[in-house]
Amino acid sequence: MLKMQNIRKSYRTDTIETHALRDFSLEVNEGEFVSVTGPSGSGKTTFLNIAGLLETPTGGQYLLDNEDIGNLNDRDRSRLRNEKIGFIFQGFNLIPDLNLFDNVDVPLRYRGFNGKERKKRIEKALEQVGLAARAKHLPAQLSGGQQQRVAIARALAGEPRFLLADEPTGNLDSLMARQVMELLEFINEWGTTIIMVTHDPDLARRAHRNIQIVDGQVADLQQGAAERAQTATA
Amino acid sequence: MLELRPILSALWRHKISALLIAVQLGLTLAIVGNATVVIQERMDTIARPTGVAVEDIVTANFMPIPKDYDRMEAFRLDLDMMRQLPGVVAATVSRAPLAGGGSSAGFHTKPNQEIGATNSATFRVDEHFIDALGMRLVAGRNFTANEIREIGRESTWQPDTTVITQQLADKLFAGGEALGKSIYYGGGDHPMEIVGIVERNLGPWPNSPIAGNSIFLPMIMDTQWFDYIIRAEPGQRDAVAKLLQEKLAERDPRRVVDVKTLEEQLNRSYAGDNTMITVLSGVVGLLTFIVALGIVGLTVFWITQRQKQIGVRRALGATRTAISRYFLLENLLIAASGIAIGVAAAQIFNHFLASEFDQPALPLSTTLTCALILLGVSLAAALVPALRAANISPATATRSV
Repeated sequence: MLKMQNIRKSYRTDTIETHALRDFSLEVNEGEFVSVTGPSGSGKTTFLNIAGLLETPTGGQYLLDNEDIGNLNDRDRSRLRNEKIGFIFQGFNLIPDLNLFDNVDVPLRYRGFNGKERKKRIEKALEQVGLAARAKHLPAQLSGGQQQRVAIARALAGEPRFLLADEPTGNLDSLMARQVMELLEFINEWGTTIIMVTHDPDLARRAHRNIQIVDGQVADLQQGAAERAQTATA
Repeated sequence: MLELRPILSALWRHKISALLIAVQLGLTLAIVGNATVVIQERMDTIARPTGVAVEDIVTANFMPIPKDYDRMEAFRLDLDMMRQLPGVVAATVSRAPLAGGGSSAGFHTKPNQEIGATNSATFRVDEHFIDALGMRLVAGRNFTANEIREIGRESTWQPDTTVITQQLADKLFAGGEALGKSIYYGGGDHPMEIVGIVERNLGPWPNSPIAGNSIFLPMIMDTQWFDYIIRAEPGQRDAVAKLLQEKLAERDPRRVVDVKTLEEQLNRSYAGDNTMITVLSGVVGLLTFIVALGIVGLTVFWITQRQKQIGVRRALGATRTAISRYFLLENLLIAASGIAIGVAAAQIFNHFLASEFDQPALPLSTTLTCALILLGVSLAAALVPALRAANISPATATRSV
């Protein structure tokens, strides 16, 4: 469902050009749970931004559901983000002025659902993350783990085809991190494709597949391991 | 998709700053509305038709140096000379209207009345006055040369005929025909028959409550206050003024001659109104500018504060238009509540001004027009920051700082 071929992304300032991604190719299938790891500055966030249509690549081809993203304008990319992609951010990124109900409502309003439909979806999503009773609370009144669950509810309410999680447990203690991880696994079991960027090797291992990004390129661990095994037998 | 409810709840959490801007807008509207009505009133005053050909008229006045100067003789010779000059349509000797100096008296429609007089400016004129002032006779006739009497300054002689303005005719003979009727000086019993009615003449004092009540009496008085009133052909006024200065001095060098245009004298009469218009317009402009600055400041501040949030909204599917619309709508809500405060405050303020300072009443239509303009200004002020907010990248959402 997601296919990147030779994606390049460079940032240019007056004096220097930085290559965040170089010849980056990756394919993610429907229903997969892929974790993305790599050292700081390796290009994880750039990959996530491009995968989530938050940034456009400098070169290469990106197909999402067989649709070439390179041909889309800003309005179409916004629509696609809204309809197909759910985001979970490290810092939760809830809107502090809005209560939980209204926070989950944000993407649904952009989708153009009517009030009744939105209400149904919001209540269901909050129910799924176990926070239905707190719908009128403000984010500041919740713990970090609860806030991240609201963010997950917000990502789920639009029933996206795939979920992009940027260090979803990075700001949480281990107990809360486990709860959030279990929630993601549950969501994946129900068919949503998930790409999760993480620093945590334990979490990364729980995914179906782990991609490591080094220097803006995919370092395929399994292939590397296979080559090493071959060398050893020879 | 409008986001009224979420905007309102977000505003509620920033109510102090929102309220401050709304109150500032409201006060601005209250002041701007009341200033506008004063400006409007003064502009209407200035724009009133004067009834005379202000732009074509030159006035001249002289001060003789010899003590026993024959002024009447000078009037005759000067007028004869002036009427021959190129570019001159008509010339008369009287007192220039609109220039701030003249005389007035109370008049009655019955003899021997002491109270209830109708006050009117009085002009002593010859048979050329209608033509020289460029006035329009709407009923009856002009004076004939035979009716004009030359009198000394202390004379108490009263004429048998008079010409008055339409406005005075309407006041003296409300609902009736004035032509052919007689009027009397207060306490007097000498009838003066109204033989003609001119359309309009604002008299010597355009800002006076009796402006427009004018009576013309067929007599030339031996006084230094008399002016020559010369009407030039259109476009010839300044050339005629220059020529007059020269020719009057040339005809009789034993006097000091002062030539002016009627326009400059009228402008002097309206100087106070013009100053008021300038000052109040400045105040209106400044206040509007300050309120616009406040809105720009607040919008920029909120957008800077909410950069991350804007990025998150973009990531969640907001188009650029949706982001700009959010901030414009937010601004519109603040502006609308400010304007609601302002409409009420404007009326209260006006009530106070009207009762304490005799200021004109503020019509609701003026307040609403000012309100619409302020609303436009506040939206325009928010527009640039709102458009810039739309350029915040959705990738801001994934930045950790």
